[in-house]
Amino acid sequence: MRTAPPWPARAAERFTGPAVLLILIAGALVVPQLTDRRDTITLLFLVFLYIALAQSWNLLAGYAGQINLGHAAFFGVGALVTRDLWTKEDVPFAAAFLAGGGAAVLFALAVGIPTFRLRGIYFAIGTLAMAEALRITVSNLRPQVTALPAQALATYDLEPRYYLALGLAVCTVLVAFILPRTRLSLGILAVREDEEAAEASGVNALAHKLAALVLSSFFAGLAGGTFAFYHVSYYPDRPFFPIWTFDAVLATFIGGVGTLAGPIVGATFFIVVRDRLAVEVQEVHQAIFGLLFILVVLMLPGGLVEAWSRARRLLRRTR
Amino acid sequence: MLEIRDVEVAYEDLQAIWGVSMEVAAGEIVVLIGPNGAGKTTLMRAIAGLQPPLRGRIVLDGAPIQSLAAHSIVERGVVLVPEGRRLFAGMSVYENLLLGAYTAKARAAQAKSLQRVQEVFPILAERRDQAAGTLSGGEQQMLAIGRALMSLPRLLLLDEPSLGLAPLVVRDIFEVLRQINRDGVTLLLAEQNARMALELAHRAYILEQGKVAGQGTGPEMLASDHVRRAYLGYVTAGEEASEK
Amino acid sequence: MNLEPIFQNLVYGLFVGGLYGMAAVGLSLVFGVLKVLNVSHGELLMLGGYVSFTLFDAYGVDPFLSIAIAAPLLFLVGLGLHGGLFRWVMRLHEEAKIKNSLLIGFGLALVLENLALRVWTADERAITTGYSGEGVTLAGIVFPYTRMSGLVVAFMAVMLLHLFLTRTYAGRAIRATSEDWEAASLMGINVQRTYVVAFAIGTALAGVAGTLVSLGYTIAPSIGLAWTLKALVVVVLAGLGSIFGAFAAGILLGEAEATSIYVFGASYREVVGLVLFIIVLLLRPQGLFGRRVR
Repeated sequence: MRTAPPWPARAAERFTGPAVLLILIAGALVVPQLTDRRDTITLLFLVFLYIALAQSWNLLAGYAGQINLGHAAFFGVGALVTRDLWTKEDVPFAAAFLAGGGAAVLFALAVGIPTFRLRGIYFAIGTLAMAEALRITVSNLRPQVTALPAQALATYDLEPRYYLALGLAVCTVLVAFILPRTRLSLGILAVREDEEAAEASGVNALAHKLAALVLSSFFAGLAGGTFAFYHVSYYPDRPFFPIWTFDAVLATFIGGVGTLAGPIVGATFFIVVRDRLAVEVQEVHQAIFGLLFILVVLMLPGGLVEAWSRARRLLRRTR
Repeated sequence: MLEIRDVEVAYEDLQAIWGVSMEVAAGEIVVLIGPNGAGKTTLMRAIAGLQPPLRGRIVLDGAPIQSLAAHSIVERGVVLVPEGRRLFAGMSVYENLLLGAYTAKARAAQAKSLQRVQEVFPILAERRDQAAGTLSGGEQQMLAIGRALMSLPRLLLLDEPSLGLAPLVVRDIFEVLRQINRDGVTLLLAEQNARMALELAHRAYILEQGKVAGQGTGPEMLASDHVRRAYLGYVTAGEEASEK
Repeated sequence: MNLEPIFQNLVYGLFVGGLYGMAAVGLSLVFGVLKVLNVSHGELLMLGGYVSFTLFDAYGVDPFLSIAIAAPLLFLVGLGLHGGLFRWVMRLHEEAKIKNSLLIGFGLALVLENLALRVWTADERAITTGYSGEGVTLAGIVFPYTRMSGLVVAFMAVMLLHLFLTRTYAGRAIRATSEDWEAASLMGINVQRTYVVAFAIGTALAGVAGTLVSLGYTIAPSIGLAWTLKALVVVVLAGLGSIFGAFAAGILLGEAEATSIYVFGASYREVVGLVLFIIVLLLRPQGLFGRRVR
């Protein structure tokens, strides 16, 4: 995997990026006021959810260089804790929501400390195994569907779900934006480039990896909480399924792993294309994304973000 | 037979060889001496096809080979005994030798080659079924050379054959090399043990910091002041005594 | 005390373990030679199962005979996959190679699963032959014909592979390449071609395992991941470098799972393997029979 392209250095680019984002956010804020169409709002909800999921995965993968194939576990833990606290224990949603994120962090730390001893591919398959083991356990312990109680069902409103997802997506992107600008990031990047060299320079690799893990799992857990808030009824093991990890991986890579815009572009592309293709028989979007993914890995490691910047450079030259 | 013209080779992002030109005529023993890190191994690897040169040509019998893959170069009769021997430690002596005769030509002559190798290195016949990793240093070097012989080399490249071996063992091995050469195999040796190498050599080149810093016949080099000071002075009093 | 159910369980554990071993051997070969972990291995297994199922369903070919078709077919598929995909990462530096091959395998798994979905639909399939229900009963313990034959086939396949690797030049070339590819190329071995062949053999072996799975279990487009994980667990348990070690580790896992049923119940069977996997990864990364420390 190539080093991530550097954050834009030129002054003009410094402002267009955030400016575009602000415009998009402003637009997103207004959408529910402009339309009542459920499918549009749901689509955007999914976009925001996937942005959060992908960006949180990107924190560990693109940024700290650790490919975590057990990301769904954080998502699931967040969903489980939030759902249970909120629907069974009558905890106010805000508290349940944050507790979900916190639980995901605790789980991540408990599991991450031993797992980070594994390097590279062993870390990837180790996390996958762990997530699967957790999924099966949850599946066995909680076979019953979890449904919203009558009161919550009666007052179900899509708007707060929408804004929650939007807020989460914005926060995750913000964190991904701020993180490289902190001192902590120097250590993390050093670990990503060459863990042993970083250790030799006095960087505590484990501490830095754990820091990235904490952020990654927290936001994945919150995404899970959002999932729990949104769905009326589902089987408790559903958010633990590896498809959540794989979708996050696909979206991030296709968008451009290690970049800020990558997960945003990738998640949007992913959801929109999937929605458009939904008319097709039997999930052909999986094959398309799989092929695109392979293409990105082989030829365009920077994903759509890189393709975009290359296209712009090409256009500039032909002017 | 072998001509190296203005070759430049990089090794792991750093340039190691800067415009080296050399020649090896058929039937000769040519030796490459020079300090650690001078680029001897890099040059040997380049000739053997493990490291394509950045620039320059490597010509064998008039045909360029610098862009050929290593296995094709073996098929043309150029065989490298790499630094550190690189035996297949998990396999037996016998299997290592068999693998040496992988090319079609060598495989056809396999039985004969095996017999020859076991004549030259009787200890290998003794240790036939032993795992290669369990042999002593000297035995491993013999196995490495024996394995290379199984490939029916016309030009045998040896990278630091004396490394880590006791002087008596080195002497035996060099004697074997002399014999191999008399049987018609051209030799190109990279050696840190300058004295023994120069005594064996018909001609020699000095490689320093990736460039040729001198050349001459074996006796010329042995007599040269520069060589005596820089390379023969490495022989300690203890080694001199045991050689006598 | 009635020991029969316990022994019956152990017998089933043996049979399923042989299958696990069969699934793992191909993965172990590819990992050992190319240093690439093909995470689409389970999907290749699934394809092999579908080939056999189709041959049985459409032409009535007995599954054990269809191996003679499935294996070469999957071999060709492996040639294509390597030539088209994995070849491009073989030239990379070790770390980049491992990471990129992991990702490519991941993408490939998705594509293959989707392909199977379109061709065969999401329905679960299984092969039921005339002799499917029957077996031999010894001392009150049932030995079903299909499972027994499956074990025998698996063992024979592993045996054949072993003979190939130790008695033929091509096989020795593969072993040499897996030990030290540069030294192998100095022997005149075409390393790139060896990679292709090893990968194709690994794919063919996955195909054979798939055929056996279609007999005793169900085949569906979604089983890929589960079998990849299963094979991974066995490969890690066994460590690298030993084909028979992978087979033995498979049986070990089968028995471990069978025994765990008494302690944790049947629904945690998969978890046992996964937890074992993680423990071995952490505590003994070279596996039970491996000869190299990572």
